[in-house]
Amino acid sequence: MNRKRLHAVVAKEWLDMRKNKMVLIMMALLPLLMVGMILGTVYFMARLPEADFDPQTGSSGMALPPELAALGPKDGVIVLINDQYMFYLLLIPLALPVYMAAYSIIGEKETRSLEPLLATPVSTTELLLGKTIAASAPAVVLTWLSFLLTAAGLYFIASPVVLAYWVRPVWSLSIAFHTPFLAVLSTACGVIASSRLNDPRAAQQVTALFVVPLITLSMVVLMGKVYLDMRLMGWATLVIAAVTVGVLWLAVRLFQRETILTRWR
Amino acid sequence: MIRAEGLTRRFGPLLAVDDLTLYVRQGEVFGFLGPNGAGKTTTMRMLATLIAPTAGAAWINGHRVGEDDEAVRASIGLLTETPGLYPRLSAEDNLGFFANLHEVADVPGQLRKYLSLLGLWERRADPVGGFSKGMQQKLAIARALLHEPPVLFLDEPTSALDPEAARVVREFIETLKGEGRTIFICTHNLDEADRLCDRVGVIKQRLIRVDAPEALRQGLYGRSVRVQLRETSPALVAVARSLPFVTEVVETAEGLCVALDDPETHNPALVGALVAAGAAIQFVEREAHSLEQVYFDLLRESEEAA
Repeated sequence: MNRKRLHAVVAKEWLDMRKNKMVLIMMALLPLLMVGMILGTVYFMARLPEADFDPQTGSSGMALPPELAALGPKDGVIVLINDQYMFYLLLIPLALPVYMAAYSIIGEKETRSLEPLLATPVSTTELLLGKTIAASAPAVVLTWLSFLLTAAGLYFIASPVVLAYWVRPVWSLSIAFHTPFLAVLSTACGVIASSRLNDPRAAQQVTALFVVPLITLSMVVLMGKVYLDMRLMGWATLVIAAVTVGVLWLAVRLFQRETILTRWR
Repeated sequence: MIRAEGLTRRFGPLLAVDDLTLYVRQGEVFGFLGPNGAGKTTTMRMLATLIAPTAGAAWINGHRVGEDDEAVRASIGLLTETPGLYPRLSAEDNLGFFANLHEVADVPGQLRKYLSLLGLWERRADPVGGFSKGMQQKLAIARALLHEPPVLFLDEPTSALDPEAARVVREFIETLKGEGRTIFICTHNLDEADRLCDRVGVIKQRLIRVDAPEALRQGLYGRSVRVQLRETSPALVAVARSLPFVTEVVETAEGLCVALDDPETHNPALVGALVAAGAAIQFVEREAHSLEQVYFDLLRESEEAA
């Protein structure tokens, strides 16, 4: 592994990304919308009367899991909804890198730059790792920033309990560790799709497969069937890590210089 | 410098290159000619380590293709048929990226050298998406040269260029020839091959013939001179045919086309005999066969043999 060549690949990808206004807008839009949606919801809910959240009498009332019952109906409901949003926040590292990764390889095909690129001493590992870092890192940073920005906003508009639950270890650790795995998983999907297909949109459809389990888990949590604790998150980390490693292995296996050069027309 | 032995490539049932054996010397400009689908680009891709041969072996600058690919890639510069540049990046950024991949020691110096040589220095900060085809091709040539490779592979270097841009690129290739680099050119432009190449190889899956353009002409047609006469007659044809060094005489509208082994030695005797027989000679010139004619005749011969 040559670090200078790896750095050159990452730097070029980021430079190309910076020159592509559409990519920049798309990258900024999704996290901003997420943060705005979370803070907006909390802001309006925090201003509703406590009675509205009583599951017996209030129109906004929901059945709370026993673990949140002690928070009171209003803060309990806000925390429950924020837990849903936290799942949505984890969609950022799934949604953003796949398009960038797919574009960074399919884009090479469109500009016909892959052949001269592969004729340089850069190895497949350096090239793929460079593209993976370039596509994943911005999404990871943006997810972390979204999490911190939301926490800062909650400090001003929500009760201390809601903020404390937002940054509780189960979520802080999940955002810290799941985000990079999900970003790499998404990038690997982009690499796989672009190694086999000619359309970046197809890569996004492949990643949609991984969105389904995440949304399903969020629904189960919302229904109060499961409460997120460290044990559950530990298992989730193991599953996500295993899937990521598997998909990454597949991506490296499927990225064959020769096939890409001779099949792409 | 470039050596291939029995190089073969199949794509499923399709035989793209069949048993190619070739040697290109250091400092030589070698033209690779053949119709579309003849295996030119596939051969170049195999030599550039981009695709693996099904059989056979090749060496570039002493490094075995398939075993020491990183060293092979460090030894070559590749100009593909299309420039393959990053349109949003500037000329400087495009070249800088490739210079870093090749670990060029003095990146700014090399960028300045080649951007200036190719007349692109003033446009170095502009996105290359706005460049003309000729400028993009020149930039792609600069990219292939940044790391000063001893071997250059050029795939259709002047295709899709206007005559002026094509001339600039051709002249630049001639300057590279003067630097002692080994240059392997795939081209359909036979006039260009004739002007630039020390030797050419004609391929149609199999290598049909390899030689210097002039030697190919002689091999196919022998050597002949065209004698333009004010008036021709059967008697003059008979005089020419009677000379012992003449192998063939063809009467044409302008005079005679005379084939002979050694024109430099025997032309004076030929002219003397014709004048003595009453011929009014207007011009004597070497009979020229274009490389295009050679190329088509070689392909036809190959098809007939098959």
